[in-house]
Amino acid sequence: MKPKALILRGAATNCDMETAAAFNYCGAKAETVHINEILKGFKKISDYDILALPGGFSYGDDISAGQIFALKIRSLKKDFENFIKAGKPVIGICNGFQVLVKTGYLPENPCGERRATLFLNDCGRFICKWVKLKVNPKSPCIFTKGLPEEIELPIAHGEGKFLPRDKKDLEAILAGNLAPVFYVENPNGSAADIAGICSSRGNVLGLMPHPERNFFGVQGQKKEGKNFLSAGFMFFKNAVDYCS
Amino acid sequence: MENFINASKKELLKLNEKFGWSLNSAELEKARAYFAGLGRNPTRAEMETIAQTWSEHCKHKTFSGPVELCIGGRKRLFRNLFKETIVKATLKLNKKWCLSVFKDNAGVIEMSPRSKWGLAFKAETHNHPCAVAPYGGAETGVGGVIRDILGTGLGAKPVLNTDNFCFGPFEKEKMPKGFLPPKKIYEGVVEGVRDYGNRMGIPTAAGSVHFDESYTFNPLVYVGCVGLIRKDRIFKKIKKGDLIVVIGGPTGRDGIHGATFSSADIDENTGSSAVQIGHAVNEKKVLDVIMKAADKKLYNALTDCGAGGFSSAIGELGADTGACVDLSKALLKDSSVKPWEIWVSESQERMVLSVPRKNLAALKDICGIEECPICVLGSFDGSGRLRVFFGNEKIIDMDMAFLHGGLPKFVKKAVYKPRPEIKHFTHKPKDYNEVLNRIISDVNVCSKEAIIRQYDHEVQGATVLKPFCGKSGNTPSDAAVIWPYAFTGEMDNYEGFAVSHGFDSQSGKINPYLMSFYAIDEAIRSLACAGADISRTALLDNFCCANPGNPHILGDFAMAALGCRDAAIAYGAPFISGKDSFYNQSKVKGKDYPIALSLLISAIAPVKDVRKTVSSEFKKAGNPVYLIGRIKGGMGGSVYSKIFKEKNNVLPPCKPREHMKDYLFLSKAVESGFVAAAHDVSKGGLAAAAAKMSFDGLTCKLELGGVCRGLRTEEALFSQGPGLIIVEVESGKEKAFLKSSCGIRISKIGFVSADEKLEISLRGETQIKADTKKLLSLWKNSLGDKI
Repeated sequence: MKPKALILRGAATNCDMETAAAFNYCGAKAETVHINEILKGFKKISDYDILALPGGFSYGDDISAGQIFALKIRSLKKDFENFIKAGKPVIGICNGFQVLVKTGYLPENPCGERRATLFLNDCGRFICKWVKLKVNPKSPCIFTKGLPEEIELPIAHGEGKFLPRDKKDLEAILAGNLAPVFYVENPNGSAADIAGICSSRGNVLGLMPHPERNFFGVQGQKKEGKNFLSAGFMFFKNAVDYCS
Repeated sequence: MENFINASKKELLKLNEKFGWSLNSAELEKARAYFAGLGRNPTRAEMETIAQTWSEHCKHKTFSGPVELCIGGRKRLFRNLFKETIVKATLKLNKKWCLSVFKDNAGVIEMSPRSKWGLAFKAETHNHPCAVAPYGGAETGVGGVIRDILGTGLGAKPVLNTDNFCFGPFEKEKMPKGFLPPKKIYEGVVEGVRDYGNRMGIPTAAGSVHFDESYTFNPLVYVGCVGLIRKDRIFKKIKKGDLIVVIGGPTGRDGIHGATFSSADIDENTGSSAVQIGHAVNEKKVLDVIMKAADKKLYNALTDCGAGGFSSAIGELGADTGACVDLSKALLKDSSVKPWEIWVSESQERMVLSVPRKNLAALKDICGIEECPICVLGSFDGSGRLRVFFGNEKIIDMDMAFLHGGLPKFVKKAVYKPRPEIKHFTHKPKDYNEVLNRIISDVNVCSKEAIIRQYDHEVQGATVLKPFCGKSGNTPSDAAVIWPYAFTGEMDNYEGFAVSHGFDSQSGKINPYLMSFYAIDEAIRSLACAGADISRTALLDNFCCANPGNPHILGDFAMAALGCRDAAIAYGAPFISGKDSFYNQSKVKGKDYPIALSLLISAIAPVKDVRKTVSSEFKKAGNPVYLIGRIKGGMGGSVYSKIFKEKNNVLPPCKPREHMKDYLFLSKAVESGFVAAAHDVSKGGLAAAAAKMSFDGLTCKLELGGVCRGLRTEEALFSQGPGLIIVEVESGKEKAFLKSSCGIRISKIGFVSADEKLEISLRGETQIKADTKKLLSLWKNSLGDKI
């Protein structure tokens, strides 16, 4: 049986297509579902094995990035918490990361409260470019297993500056190897160059860079010596393998 | 309206001015006669409908009207200039891969014979709105062209946005009353395109920016969109009895008179209330509803609400069947909006669908999930009349035939006077390195990274050739290549498409006819560099012009249109859609400021295998460097001439058939894997092109002696003509490359080097020896410095 991947979207979640394509390619059966279909009871989160919150500008990023989508998700708190507790893979990319932070699921904490934010980039505006990332091999993150030490992924965000509540939280993230990817050259001012963080079991990952946009070699900005599949592929393959 | 049918000519003109209809006296007379025949006065709503429908913006009466062109005393009459130029080229070329041309919101070509997909392409301008309200004007420009694509056939999926801007120089800070400084306009426009395009989840990955004094009061903002459409869903057919359904945002008072406003010159009294207010998320909801409803085949036709709002959308859809509308059913932003305002309001993010009654419930379900407002305004009733009510009150009752066929035609005069050619040279440069520094940092050459990086050009994961490529992401690309695997779901099908542009208003000041050739040449050449299948290139023409009431302005325009026809035929590239925008002209303290005649050519062609796409940065030291084409000299229209006030205005000749042969050869060579890098020689000439290829760590050493016989050094280095491409060939494949080049004008001009200095010599004498890091820094920071 193919693992079922839920690609959860709302208004102006824009990266659902390519995220679904990535999971399908890796052998999952991806289904794109609007959050309202879950809220109205047409679909159930527990029917799925993987959850992805794609990038985009959910609800226009009104109030702040991912805030409204996060509120909708919070109204189904139990279902989401059960999904995470069951150890099923959850990935939030870009706007999805912002949603995970604003729901309080990342950074993980016992009270489920919001302990960090993704703030306006230091340059004050949206940036779209390719960045180099250092991969932390000691991280428990299931998505980044087996990646080379350094990879490239594109970023495209206006609010990507990761700021934990305080120094203690930051140290806990670093000490627990809960930051699986770091920027080599910090593009937005994130604390400790953090590009993404995960839960202690490693099944929940949120990151600003887009692995689905460097899935095939042909998507890279460098046009020579391309392999067929690229670094982003591993994120999705790992999640699917984990479920199989 | 009282006293309309008995009004005098003068009184009619007074009404026209009071209500801002932008109609001329012949048109007013035609309307008067129609209602006199009915024995009653028109309602306000009827006159507003006529003004919108007959506006320059909606009917393109200059381009589609009769024009008498006079060249040196010889007169020539065109009954319909558009049909006898742009359309004629397409008819003559008669390409079977053109699936829909000129009749829908966008033109459609085939991706390939075996593909089930077509490519819908359209570009628009939103100049007048951006002059008075840059952010809102740019946002709604983007929103409008995306809706054009959504409303093509039975709905296309937008996969690429394009943007091309023209601004006045940033140095101009003090402006007369009622005008914004160019820098303010620039900032607003860039932010508007960014915020709308990014929120829509459509990559903005191709475009250009041009600066010229003539755009100081009238900026130009071109926005384009490409959509994917199933080949079997290209045509719409309204069925009698279908419901008129509106989805999307509510209707308000914003954007009243947008169509008529853009059919007049701008002056200090022009307000911004004619500009609409955009809301990207509402449009994304509309997009998502349409994609789902299209899959379930819930509607028979759709179109967008653009200029003229409901009056145009319902008027056009119902042109054959007639329509009966009750405006009291419309969702409103504000309950005080008057019925005629509802009818013509250009509130954004609305689409009109023709829905069989039995499908309404299913459509409402989708709208419920997607949180997209929906309302039913009436039906396409088969009466052949347009009848509009507000509750029980009838506000419009007109024949569709009069509304769409009643526009009077009258001949416009056009005069073309060729400019004298200046063959001698007035500037003698001392140091060519210094010249290159000036050129590479000129606003018309330098990097537009400050703009481009604010756009998400990677969303949808499909952007194979990006605005910047190379391991450093520093080298600019000639075209965008898109591989829409995520939407099609065909991950083992490597077919894609490429989009590029051509624009040369500087050359147009010297010879508008040749300008069209240059623009088309540049666009096709850029596609060839990326490795597109240029034998299937389709073009869009977007003209921007000053007031066509001036015979000389119209004369230049007519020559450019003829240039488009002749060039399109010679290159074998048909037009599939286009748009024209007139009255890009301002009155300041009694003086007229017209823009330079501006033609944007957008080109699209399929790419057979996106994996073979080539970028422009040098790849490997030691690889040979070739030049395709011959340098012909002449500094007319060049960046060099503009900077150094060189008076020589000779334009290099364009030889379309030879150039096309060269480009087809290059296209094949890319496909065969012989080519490591290719870049077209455009603004700034050959030296600037070689410099841009050197921004990723490697550079080149070139000797131009063999390719510029009889030319001056500045001509060899900086002249801009058509036909030239620099190509880096894989060293191991040079023989095969040469073998396949029989009959093609290629010359070996040097090799790629791992040095830090770009070197260009002529007949053994070094003319340029420039540090590529310094060039890169000048190129990267020049526009940034000015923001």
